Amino acid sequence: MVLTRFLDVLFRACGAVAAVCLVAIAVLVLTSILGRLLGVYIAGLNAYAGYMMAASSFFALAYAFRRGGHIRVNLLLTRLRGKARWALEVWCLGVASGLTVYLAWFCIRMVSVSLDFGDVSEGPDATPLWIAQLPMAIGSTIFALCLIESFLVALLTGRVEQDDGESVGPGHGPDNGQGA
Amino acid sequence: MEQLLLTGVFLTVLFALLGSGVWVGISLIGVALCGMELFTSRPAGDAMVTTMWAQASSWTLTALPLFIWMGEILFRTRLSENLFRGLAPWMRSLPGGLLHVNVLGCAIFAAISGSSAATVVTVGKMAIPELQRRRYPERLIIGSLAGAGTLGLLIPPSIILIVYGVTVNQSIDQLFMAGVFPGMMLAVLFMGYIAFWSLTHRDQMPPPDARVSFWRRLGESTQLIPVLLLILAVLGSIYFGFATATEAAALGVVGALVISAAQKSLNWKSFKESLMGAAVTSAMIALILAGAAFLTLAMGFTQLPRNLAGWIGSLELTPLMLIVALTVFYIILGCFLDGISAVVLTMAVIEPMVQQAGFDMIWFGIYLVIVVEMAQITPPIGFNLFVLQGMTGHDMGYIARAALPLFCMMILAVVLVVAFPEIATWLPETLRSRP
Repeated sequence: MVLTRFLDVLFRACGAVAAVCLVAIAVLVLTSILGRLLGVYIAGLNAYAGYMMAASSFFALAYAFRRGGHIRVNLLLTRLRGKARWALEVWCLGVASGLTVYLAWFCIRMVSVSLDFGDVSEGPDATPLWIAQLPMAIGSTIFALCLIESFLVALLTGRVEQDDGESVGPGHGPDNGQGA
Repeated sequence: MEQLLLTGVFLTVLFALLGSGVWVGISLIGVALCGMELFTSRPAGDAMVTTMWAQASSWTLTALPLFIWMGEILFRTRLSENLFRGLAPWMRSLPGGLLHVNVLGCAIFAAISGSSAATVVTVGKMAIPELQRRRYPERLIIGSLAGAGTLGLLIPPSIILIVYGVTVNQSIDQLFMAGVFPGMMLAVLFMGYIAFWSLTHRDQMPPPDARVSFWRRLGESTQLIPVLLLILAVLGSIYFGFATATEAAALGVVGALVISAAQKSLNWKSFKESLMGAAVTSAMIALILAGAAFLTLAMGFTQLPRNLAGWIGSLELTPLMLIVALTVFYIILGCFLDGISAVVLTMAVIEPMVQQAGFDMIWFGIYLVIVVEMAQITPPIGFNLFVLQGMTGHDMGYIARAALPLFCMMILAVVLVVAFPEIATWLPETLRSRP
């Protein structure tokens, strides 16, 4: 499917953006250490590291999903086969689609409210909040898109991705690299 | 009565979502949403995103991806080989011989990585085949590795301690200080068990390796020096107050990159893979934390935690009885949930209760991590078991049985930490009181 291929590229691009944000966190923190050593105070570095943290987390959501990086309790799932397995998987994807759409909708609303009221950060950086919050809205929207697509593919084709290798776990990144 | 009914509905939703396999972070959002809708008329969605934003953009949390990244970089160096070659010659004459490499290797890797699965993989990759070749008893190879791998959760930098600290608003620095001695104690207990077993089963132990001269041994160990220095620099800078956990993590990333470059393991591919791996893992945890933040908010409206605290208070349990009950509860919970999910899910409910019972929250964090660690080696869901299953081909039951004695050592560790809370609280209090 062309759409799936397009989305794959999109998700991978988001993963790359998340990675760049991660590097930015490191650079910001190092800059603040250097600044302190040199006795220079640079306002707002900590706040920016925080914004980058939020951006990185939300941008990587869809990419992580595609790589099987999000954990779930698959005790029941892995014991089911055939139709039952498919039905449960569709249920999970359906619930997740609904909830992520809800999340994305309110993230977008938060950005638009911040924009309307011209909210700025309370910290010394005084960044307009809508700019800082925008990545969260974009990331969550793409995450919702990702789940809807998986849901529709599962529902329409009757196929589900087999992830019986129950090896997804916290801090388990190095070993479940299927994508990238 | 109504309260009871609503609580029942709420728990049903929780079990239905988590149990059916909805991703943990998303399940938490669903449960919290349900709680908000049932218990308050406040608009749930806006409150949800505001809470999540505050959580996701907090500066404290930035230590998390940085420590994960540091671990990912070093995971891709020749550390696995260096750990074995550097430690093995020193262990040969101890009772239990090279089996101690499993424990010490895990303890060292735990001090650069916060994950127990990565710890098992790194140490096991080299140690399993080498120990098998020397005909050490299979059961003990697997068991000691499964048990010692859990040190990754306790010895700082620990991902789960960061998650705990962020969830209950405690200082990550203090938690990291509190984790050191309990971590070392656990390592000593594991090594003690290995020594005891090998002394009582001499017939099953292989002959020790050939003696290596002191200078040769030192030569083999030099490869480990950069990593040990990095650990000292990262943890030392936190302990002596030069740097916060986040700053230490950023320095750790730089140090890891330098080590990786010096070993010629650093190239564009390994750099990219470590970075993407870190981004995926931290997004996974961030989603759970975002869901947990919303759940904590919703819980405040449901009054459930307050009622629970009140109810527990009315039972007039002694702190000891409460801890015993909690330990049993967490061991059972740990059979079904991974550590991070178990921590965030339960802290949303029991934090007021724990506070009311008068436990020190730093101490409780350490206790909680040890209890949750046990879950890594209990079937049917135990991540160390999965990892070892993949690495050795043994079935889960065999690995779980092999790890059982180590599980008992962890129970002993809980008893010790409860009996002597100073094991955890002494270091943070001493360093805090210093000018």
